[in-house]
Amino acid sequence: MQTKFKSSKWLPYLLLSPSVIIVFIFFIIPSSESLYYSFFRQNITGTRKLFVGFENFTRLFMDPEYIDSLIRSFLFTVIVVVFGLTISLGIAMIANKKLRFFNMYRTLLIWPYALSPAITGMIWALMFNPTIGVASNLLNNIFGISFNYINNSTHAMIFICVAAIWKMLGYNIIFFLSGLQNVPPEILEASIIDGANAWRRFRTILLPLISPTTFFLIIMNTLYAFFQQFGLLHVVTEGGPGRATDLLVYKLYRDGFISMNTGYASAQSIILLLIVAAVTFIQFKSSEKSVFYGT
Amino acid sequence: MRKKVFTVLLILATSVMLFSTGQKEEEGSYSLPDDVKSGGTVTFWHAMSGSKTAIVDGYAEEFMSLHPEIKVEAVYSGSYAETVTKGLAAIKAGKPPVLLMSYEVGTQTMLDSGAIIPIYTLNKGEIDFNDVTAPIANYYSVNGKLNSMPFNSSTAMLYYNKDMFRAAGLDPDVPPKTFEEVYEYSKKIMDAGHARGGISFGWPAWIFEQMHAYHNKFYANNDNGRNGNRASEVLFNGELGVKILTEWQKWAKAGVLSYGGRTYKANDPFIAGEFAMLVQSTSSLAGILKSADFEVGTAFLPKMPGYEKGNSVIGGASIWLLKGHSDEVNAAAWEFLQYLFEEKNAVAWHKATGYFPVNKRAYGKLTDEGWFNKEPRFRTAFDQILGGSNSKAASGALLGNFVEIRDIMGAAIEDVVVNMKDPKTILDAAKVKCDRVLSDYISTAE
Repeated sequence: MQTKFKSSKWLPYLLLSPSVIIVFIFFIIPSSESLYYSFFRQNITGTRKLFVGFENFTRLFMDPEYIDSLIRSFLFTVIVVVFGLTISLGIAMIANKKLRFFNMYRTLLIWPYALSPAITGMIWALMFNPTIGVASNLLNNIFGISFNYINNSTHAMIFICVAAIWKMLGYNIIFFLSGLQNVPPEILEASIIDGANAWRRFRTILLPLISPTTFFLIIMNTLYAFFQQFGLLHVVTEGGPGRATDLLVYKLYRDGFISMNTGYASAQSIILLLIVAAVTFIQFKSSEKSVFYGT
Repeated sequence: MRKKVFTVLLILATSVMLFSTGQKEEEGSYSLPDDVKSGGTVTFWHAMSGSKTAIVDGYAEEFMSLHPEIKVEAVYSGSYAETVTKGLAAIKAGKPPVLLMSYEVGTQTMLDSGAIIPIYTLNKGEIDFNDVTAPIANYYSVNGKLNSMPFNSSTAMLYYNKDMFRAAGLDPDVPPKTFEEVYEYSKKIMDAGHARGGISFGWPAWIFEQMHAYHNKFYANNDNGRNGNRASEVLFNGELGVKILTEWQKWAKAGVLSYGGRTYKANDPFIAGEFAMLVQSTSSLAGILKSADFEVGTAFLPKMPGYEKGNSVIGGASIWLLKGHSDEVNAAAWEFLQYLFEEKNAVAWHKATGYFPVNKRAYGKLTDEGWFNKEPRFRTAFDQILGGSNSKAASGALLGNFVEIRDIMGAAIEDVVVNMKDPKTILDAAKVKCDRVLSDYISTAE
């Protein structure tokens, strides 16, 4: 039965308008303002502006600190995405059994995701406090490692990687779990009958079938690793020691809000915008072939 | 296909959200409103954390009970750097608090902000500025005038663990006076297994500044930015600066310097007995005495031989009156500042924290009641600062955007004592950055 539906020329626009307005207010306007400010140097109260052209951008790429931060952020992102997804997929595979209390596990697993990054930072900073931290004392007593993220740059970097991965773990596991549960059991059964071993089943059946989930998670985790580390860094390392954990977002914060270099920080936010656009574009292009979206 | 479109949309929406939260706040130019933005309330943004918040709140309450017609709202606004940047952002947004606490490095920035009312213009003789403790008045005066009201003033001194000194066979009443002795004593204590390290610093970049003043060397040109011209160049990569960082690196390599992070992070491991000595602000004195379960000694900062004697620099913060409020509110704020300056409040503040009493008469009163004899550790910093020079080099630097310079130096010092990079190279690179901060600052200053 077909209901009568009077199509209007304006209805699609009306329905689209909320998101368009939101995108406009929260994305287009601030981004264009950033673009505008990136051509100026301002005094601290914003009462005087000097037009400096592309100087903020040229400075940025001649600033070894920025280049280091850029490389560090990419490295950090790769580590968080690769390790984070591998570990979560592993846990999801284990959890994807017909377990009792499955719903409870699932709820518990997603808890870390509900924490704000700053709280995550607090928890980890407390556990690994070089003086009073439970975890750092355990490391010291059992393995003889004196773990100190305050006066060891390598430790600091490892520390924020682990904390960042941990926070996203629950989110990833939940998505992988639902992906795994959507895999039709008859395909797996057929493969068992055909004599495929566990590894082969994983590689040739599960992995391709959950590829849309994986693809989605790769992008989400990349964005997460790139943009959402501020709270963690601010609470735990403040980018230090030296600039050892100074990721792009934190540098932007320092330059924009501590040093009050609005123009310089705006230039950085424009670069960040271009980076995320590029990353997303590349990922979509390269995944068109390898992601299987089913029928 | 629909799923794909959905994924794309989801990702787009999420990235929009990510961007909007990461987006920087942008405000139009600052206009000075004449109306009362605070609704008649004296808002006071400060950075006094922990037990100090309660003391400041107590002052506000007592003041209000004495002046029922005035409402004071004291708001803890985070660390010093956060309070200053929040204040500046509020100024930009046209909603400034009435009173803003700014730490010493914000002084030049606040002066140039165009958003302040110098407090000397409000003073109709209610406060005799000659009553302000001399070194504090020297630090905060620009061209001989007080632009902000000193409130919590401190300096750096050496804290040490007397029990550890005793256990290692050192005389607990003879603290190290030179860099060499610091190293030697630390080694003794560490070799005897009493501590993991010898010494640590709070506010390392500040201690580096202190060391320049203490050895009577300029940190920046134009007499530390105090000869009427703004400082345009930093001088810390000279022979003294390199020598200090080379020493610190030597200590760090030997495990003598147990780097503990910026601001007050090194206090906890000192209290826990991880190292024997700590160079920290006097404002930590009351807190450390309360928490330490060992006998705490206090002493002058260690010096290197071969340099003139300078002085330790005043740190801490002062309170600024911001434009944008009615005359009544300004008058009420000035009333509150007078109250804070009162002898009895200055005395109580000093006793509760370790900050200097900013009022000379409070110092006299403390002496008269025998406080310093009873609590000689509260006198150490006074003796240090009153026994030092009043030269311009010893008064500390006034720098534009000092907040950023502090941060650059904080990272530079970490590069030397944690990442073990070459001191001279690091200082030269830091100078380039800091000089650019100064030239950028001058290019936009009015």
